[in-house]
Amino acid sequence: MPARVVVELEGVSFAYHGGSGVLDGVSFTLHAGERAALLGPNGAGKSTLLHLLVGLEQPSAGSITAAGIPMHPERLVEVRERVGMVFQDPDDQLFLPTLVEDVAFGPLNQGVAPAEARRRAEEQLGLLGLGAMAERAAHHTSGGEKRKAALATALVSRPELLLLDEPTDGLDARGRHAIVRLLGERPEALIVATHDLEVVRAVCTRTLVLDGGRLVADGTTSEVLADTDFLARHGLRVPLE
Amino acid sequence: MGFHHLDHYAATASPVTRTAPAARVLGAVGLALAASLLPPGAWAPMAATLALSFALAVAARIPPGVLLLRASIPLAFLVLASVGILFMAPGSEVAALGPLRVTGHGVVLFASAIARGAAAVIAGVVLVSTTPFPELVAALRELRLPRPVTSSLALAYRFLVVLAEEVGRVRRAAEVRNGGRGRVAARRLAVGMAAAAFARSYDRSERVFRAMRVRGYRDTIPGLTYRAVDAASALRVGTLLAVAAALVVAGRA
Repeated sequence: MPARVVVELEGVSFAYHGGSGVLDGVSFTLHAGERAALLGPNGAGKSTLLHLLVGLEQPSAGSITAAGIPMHPERLVEVRERVGMVFQDPDDQLFLPTLVEDVAFGPLNQGVAPAEARRRAEEQLGLLGLGAMAERAAHHTSGGEKRKAALATALVSRPELLLLDEPTDGLDARGRHAIVRLLGERPEALIVATHDLEVVRAVCTRTLVLDGGRLVADGTTSEVLADTDFLARHGLRVPLE
Repeated sequence: MGFHHLDHYAATASPVTRTAPAARVLGAVGLALAASLLPPGAWAPMAATLALSFALAVAARIPPGVLLLRASIPLAFLVLASVGILFMAPGSEVAALGPLRVTGHGVVLFASAIARGAAAVIAGVVLVSTTPFPELVAALRELRLPRPVTSSLALAYRFLVVLAEEVGRVRRAAEVRNGGRGRVAARRLAVGMAAAAFARSYDRSERVFRAMRVRGYRDTIPGLTYRAVDAASALRVGTLLAVAAALVVAGRA
C-alpha cells in the first residue's frame, strides 16, 4: 500500500503585500516518513514555503495540504497540532523562562492538563539528553542545547510532519553531528530547509531545489547532489567527499 | 553573558527557600504593606519592621554586602523621590540649605518614608534573591495575578537577556573598530545601540509571535504549576504576617 500523502502543494504562488513574487507555481507531494531537503540560494523562498505549510502565510494562488489536512483558516489549529516547526533562531522558539515551560507550551495550548504537559515535556527533554536542564533558562544553555530544546518543542506534540529551518546554522561539528543523528532517527516526514549539503546528504533521501521562487529540481538526494554544474548554477556548492 | 549569579541564593538551602514561592510572595508583600501602614514617627514599630526584613535576609543567608548592593538602586530612587518632603512639609525650620527651609516635621516625614521604604525594599530583595524568576512568575499566577501581567513578565525575563546579548554584540562590533572613543562618539554610539536594540527587539517580537502561533498560541500563555503552598510554608508566612500586623496595630495605637 502506498504511504499516506502528508504534504501536497498544487501550483502554490505567494507574494508579500506590494512586493514581487516569492513563490511561483510550486507543486510537489511528500509521503509519510519521507525526508526531503529544501535547497536554494538566499531569497529563494525556502522559509516562506515552510511558513505556508504551517499557515503563517496564505498563498496568493494554489492549494496546500499539510499533515493530510487541507489548509484553511478554520483548520489551522488542527494543522499546527500535527505539524511541528523549528525556526532558524532557537532564541525565537524558546521564549519562556525555562526549557520545560517552553516544551510544555504546545501541549498546554492543545488542552493537555499542566501535570501531564510537564510529564511529556520532561520526557521529551530527557529523550534528547536535556533531562537535567529542564528547569534551566535558555540563556543558561549552549547553542547546541538550544537547538535540541527547540526541536523538543516541536517533537513533544508527536507531529506527523516536521519542518526545520536551517537546523545546523551556527553549530560546531559536534552540534551538527548530534542534530544529524537525531534527525536520522525520526520517523516523521521531514522537510529541512538548509544550505548545509552535508546534512542533506546524511539525513534526506529526497531533495527539492528552489530558485527565484520556482521549483527547479525534485529528485533523489544522490541524483541532485551529483549534478555539480546544476548546483553551481543555482548558487549551491556540493560538499567535498 | 552570565546571569547565573542572580539565582545564587535561590539554590542555597534556608528557611526562606524551604518556603513555597507563593507564600514567599505573600510574606514579602505583607511585610511591605505593614511597613507602609505605619504612621510617621512610629519609630519603634518601624525599627522592628526593618529588623524583621533584615532577619529574613539573614535567614536566607544573603551576605550584608550583597543585600546592600541589590537594595542600593531602589533605595537611591527612594531617597531621590522623598527628598522633597524635607522642604515642603509645614512646620518650624530646623535647618536651611540656601533658599530651602528644612522643617522638623519634614525631617520626621522623610526619615519615616526612608525607614518604611527600606523595610519594603529589603523584603523585596530577599524575595527576588531567593526565588528563581520562573517560580516567581508561577507564584504570581497562583496568586491570581492577571494572565497578561504574568505572561509579560515571563517574556520580559527571557528577552531582556536576549536583548542584552544583542546590545553586547553591537557594542563589541563598534569597539573593535575603535567606535565610541571620546564623549561625543560615545553618545552617538549609545544612541545607535539604542536604535539597533529597538529595531532588533521589534524584529524579534515578530519572529517570536510566529513561533508562538505555530505552537497553538491564541491569547494567553498557559503555565505549568510549581511548588504548591504546604502547611509548613503557610505556618511560617502566617507567623510573619501576624507579627507584621501586630506591629501595625502597635504603631497606630
